[in-house]
Amino acid sequence: MSAVSHREAASGGLWSRMSLGQKQVIWAWSFLAVPLVFYVVIRFWPTFQAFYLSTTDWTITKPAAFVGLENYWRLFEDPLFWQVFRNTFLYLILGTPISLLISFVVAYYLDRVRFMHSFIRALYFLPFLTTAAAMAWVWRWFYQPVPIGVINDLLSSLGVPQQPFLRSTTQALPAVLAPAVWAGLGFQIIIFLAGLRAIPVTYYEAARIDGLSEGAILRKITLPLLKPTLVFLVVFSSIGFLRIFDQVYNINTNDPGGPLNSTKPLVLMIYQTAFSSYEMGYAAAQTVVLFVILLVISLVQLRLMRDR
Amino acid sequence: MATVELDRLVKRYGQTTVVHGIDLSIRDGEFVVLVGPSGCGKSTTLRMIAGLEEISGGEIRIGGRVVNDLQPRERNIAMVFQNYAIYPHMSVADNIAFGLYRSKLSKSEKRQRVEQAAETLGLSQLLDRRPSALSGGQRQRVAIGRAMVRDPAAFLFDEPLSNLDAQLRTQMRIEIKRLHHRLGTTSVFVTHDQVEAMTMADRIVVMRDGRILQVGTPLELYENPVDIFTARFIGSPTMNLLPASVREGGADLTLGGSVQVPPAAATSADILIGARPQDLVPSSPDVPGLTVSGTVAVVETLGSETLVHIESAGQTIIGSAPGRQIPQIGEQLTLHAPAERLYYFDTATEKALAAR
Repeated sequence: MSAVSHREAASGGLWSRMSLGQKQVIWAWSFLAVPLVFYVVIRFWPTFQAFYLSTTDWTITKPAAFVGLENYWRLFEDPLFWQVFRNTFLYLILGTPISLLISFVVAYYLDRVRFMHSFIRALYFLPFLTTAAAMAWVWRWFYQPVPIGVINDLLSSLGVPQQPFLRSTTQALPAVLAPAVWAGLGFQIIIFLAGLRAIPVTYYEAARIDGLSEGAILRKITLPLLKPTLVFLVVFSSIGFLRIFDQVYNINTNDPGGPLNSTKPLVLMIYQTAFSSYEMGYAAAQTVVLFVILLVISLVQLRLMRDR
Repeated sequence: MATVELDRLVKRYGQTTVVHGIDLSIRDGEFVVLVGPSGCGKSTTLRMIAGLEEISGGEIRIGGRVVNDLQPRERNIAMVFQNYAIYPHMSVADNIAFGLYRSKLSKSEKRQRVEQAAETLGLSQLLDRRPSALSGGQRQRVAIGRAMVRDPAAFLFDEPLSNLDAQLRTQMRIEIKRLHHRLGTTSVFVTHDQVEAMTMADRIVVMRDGRILQVGTPLELYENPVDIFTARFIGSPTMNLLPASVREGGADLTLGGSVQVPPAAATSADILIGARPQDLVPSSPDVPGLTVSGTVAVVETLGSETLVHIESAGQTIIGSAPGRQIPQIGEQLTLHAPAERLYYFDTATEKALAAR
């Protein structure tokens, strides 16, 4: 920057006549321009393209024709959509609280463990690094009937009847959710640990002197002070569960979506509409609906959990 | 209100001992300051009294009751921390009321106590505010309020003024002192700042390396330091120490000149002669004492007095001149301290030689 300004100053050009503030503005914008252009081309333009597509009947074999909101009416009358909608929300309202509760309990106690602390933390983080495809295949194997499936083996050795898991319309969704929760734990634990570590020790010492029990310290000090961490994780994990796809797709590759679509989430429906049926316009309408759901839920959560 | 007694108190972390069996008896209503450089064990000692650190050996008694195995909350003490430790998600009133968490008082009695404490500390207008809307001094007052409401047996202060700026520190020092006069609660105050120790304490406990070096009133410590460490630690600027070798009837300074030495101080061959900068003034040596001459190197103008650093035979000596009499740098200056204002130490043992 200084090299340029020196050169310009020597030639007495436009640059040298600008004030320092103007120069800073020009520099700032020239650096910002790169990511800005990138995002407009890669993110915003396709997003608006999707909004447009959702109002057409494009199927890749024939040119797109404008059909207005017809795709949306079709979607709201489609019983599969409501099934998928219900599944997606089940993933959300089961997955978010369960995963946050487990990861908080683990982080809360792991924070006090000195013995091999880093190693244990790394173990919890490991599933987060594993690809969903490999993980889904391992879990699929867990859920097999006797004598292959580990879980059914264990159940039968305890005298409990075998469970169908992925083959059942009622058990399939929780069975798919379990590995998804398990895979996200490591990340949430790390974030919770960082949040717990950020609370000054003297807060706890002062509370001990004032006579608070462990439970009261957790309720009155730890949790309120952990609120920013909690808000972040609730929003982050909600978005994750609303967009669940790879776990579901890989655990049932021969029959994606489970028996009678009992595990099919919205993203999988979009995927099948777009890349099995090639109904691009209809798929785009579904994408817009997902976008609106994500937006509304995130905004509501942020508003509810904001510091009053 | 209660006495606090430490009896051969020891703290060990694994192999390292950080407090080496100290004894201390604090009277009811006394304001005692533990002072020393960082790592001297003063904070650890305070935290053991509070019950935040386990005791490795010895005994702590609060009001005659052995508290070694009691939880902090069972000791009926209150503590004020360096970083205030007031909760950002609660109002000032709730923070102060936290001190009454375990008390059996009714809601209205609690509120009354909180209002009373707030009134004493000048926080009445701020009770509904969040700590983030308060200044550092106000936050520390909230922390003191939380300690006050419970009417504890003793107040423990762990460097409570270190996070405040210089002006506020002076002001809070006075406020805490005034509060102590009013409440008369036994207080133990930890600081590394000797000025805080001197201005606030009924008695000062000087600590180093986990041991107590000296206990006494501020003036006792100033007048009769038992060793070089205390002599240099108490008083600002630091006491000058000039090496000298004892001969018949006096001592020769290594930087030239000689001094009359009382017989009690002439028991060692090599001694250090101490003179406080306030006693070392430019005057004619018509009374017996210490006389040093040198070149003025630095002058610190304080208004009320002028500190003069002179260099003589490679050693820097600090003296003082009246506020309006400012020597020139490079000027030759002779400083003199009367004999009765001098201190004598053994070079080898670093102990004081004669009680003055």
